[in-house]
Amino acid sequence: MFNDLDPILHSQLRLSIVSILMTVDEANFTFIQETTKAAAGNISIQIKKLQEAEYVKVKKTFKNNYPNTTVSITKKGIEAFENYVTNLKKYINPK
Amino acid sequence: MDKTTLTPEESLLLITKTIEETKKRFEENGHIIILWGCLMFMVFFSQYVFSLTGLYKKFDIIWTVILFPLGMIYTFIYVRKNVKKKNLPTTIIGRIVGTMGWAMGLNLMILGFLFSRQLGDALAPIFLILLALSIIVIGASIKFKPLFIGGLLMNLIGLGSFFISRDYHGLSMMLGALVGLIIPGILLNKAHRKEHV
Repeated sequence: MFNDLDPILHSQLRLSIVSILMTVDEANFTFIQETTKAAAGNISIQIKKLQEAEYVKVKKTFKNNYPNTTVSITKKGIEAFENYVTNLKKYINPK
Repeated sequence: MDKTTLTPEESLLLITKTIEETKKRFEENGHIIILWGCLMFMVFFSQYVFSLTGLYKKFDIIWTVILFPLGMIYTFIYVRKNVKKKNLPTTIIGRIVGTMGWAMGLNLMILGFLFSRQLGDALAPIFLILLALSIIVIGASIKFKPLFIGGLLMNLIGLGSFFISRDYHGLSMMLGALVGLIIPGILLNKAHRKEHV
């Protein structure tokens, strides 16, 4: 039914993650977890899928001796999100 | 949380809710705006009182030199602590507000401390106009109308100050602090509390 909708984004958690990243420059893993209230393992899997599609960039660093993963959206990700929203609107208001 | 059969309506709702949820975490509580409004009010009120009692020259510098830098140090520590506590990432709006805040604050301090003689009677009006500009930009960036309107009113007070005697500039500054910072800050604090009840 929703052929035009990007399957990468048409998933609840992945869509949430990308929506967060559209609002901020970059977000760390904890911020994403606190905002989506999803399990850490699930978030990791979805971020990996988004990374494979080149929609997000993942940066792994250390902050105060603790690992710190930051995620940011790529140009391709922004375009995909914008197309996704345009297509959504077409489904909701076909005219 | 991974449901793959979202309807278009559900998707759009999810996007809106997530963006709203993310924005909520960045909301200002008006604390710093109230603080600077009160500082400004206190400094100019005390100057006014000291000028009436003839103690102006003794205490003017102490108030201005101590209170404003103290305010800057407090603001810096508060913002850093808040960002760390809430684990906040950077945003475009955050960068605009932050850069505007420190750049304008620093310039106003330099103007006040080093160029007051050169600026003469224009010091207070220029101070108010420059401060108003940053309040207008911050109000528009965080989409908070009372702050935007407060900035516009402060701007008008600044322009109006060119037409009044220097003796009343302290009163202009107090009025500017009240309408441009204290009142919008309190309203922002109220709105923040309402949102987080």
